[in-house]
Amino acid sequence: MIDEKELAIHPIVPDSVQHNARIVSNIRALTASLFGVAAGTLGLESLPGFIFYFFGTAIVSFFIYSLKADSKAESYFFSPMGDLWAGDMFGGLMSFVLTWTLFYGLCKA
Amino acid sequence: MALVANAINVLGILFLSHAVYSAWEHSLLPSSSLPPSPSSILPQALDPKINLPLDIVLETLASVFFLCLGVVLSSPSLKPIQWSAWAGRLERCKEARKYTEFGVGGGNPYENLEERPGFLDIRGANRDFAEWIRHSKTT
Repeated sequence: MIDEKELAIHPIVPDSVQHNARIVSNIRALTASLFGVAAGTLGLESLPGFIFYFFGTAIVSFFIYSLKADSKAESYFFSPMGDLWAGDMFGGLMSFVLTWTLFYGLCKA
Repeated sequence: MALVANAINVLGILFLSHAVYSAWEHSLLPSSSLPPSPSSILPQALDPKINLPLDIVLETLASVFFLCLGVVLSSPSLKPIQWSAWAGRLERCKEARKYTEFGVGGGNPYENLEERPGFLDIRGANRDFAEWIRHSKTT
């Protein structure tokens, strides 16, 4: 449980929190459009496309966790569940749909 | 590490463009407009209905996988959020100990608290000023 006393004993650096959140959101924005390209090329429709996106997002989260955060998520993210595993999951959804529809139209129609 | 990440990115982009081009070429075939046979395991709503040959599907998935890896590897590294870890790394690393401008750098984030000027001896300054005035009057 994180309370005021815990924060007073172990203070956190807001600059680093911001920097980490920006990097995660950059990675998510880039990879979301990549997943859109793949989903459109494969010709996925409706539910399988969204499942593909969430599956890919989970893989990217695992990459960040193992390659960037040295498998210690709590020392790089204030709340690992919200900032790393589910962070910006729906922010990339719109760019995913954009490139998904574009490449579906290019390769199918 | 940056070189490896860039190589992975370039390879991924090459394979992805090749896969997308192959999928487009495949869509021009007259046989490609036939619907694929429905899956026997998955329910109807979850059936991906992929109408592509297996090699194009595998190439697309592998290139996207490698591009994700490259994007994650080529992004700048995260910073520790605990103040103790962050400040400890700051004091150890060489370029952070260099002074870039007044009050910035030096490696110690608490430096402006640790090295503060003491209290000004206002009575002593007053006495010195009076002395200086007296000297200037006599000369």
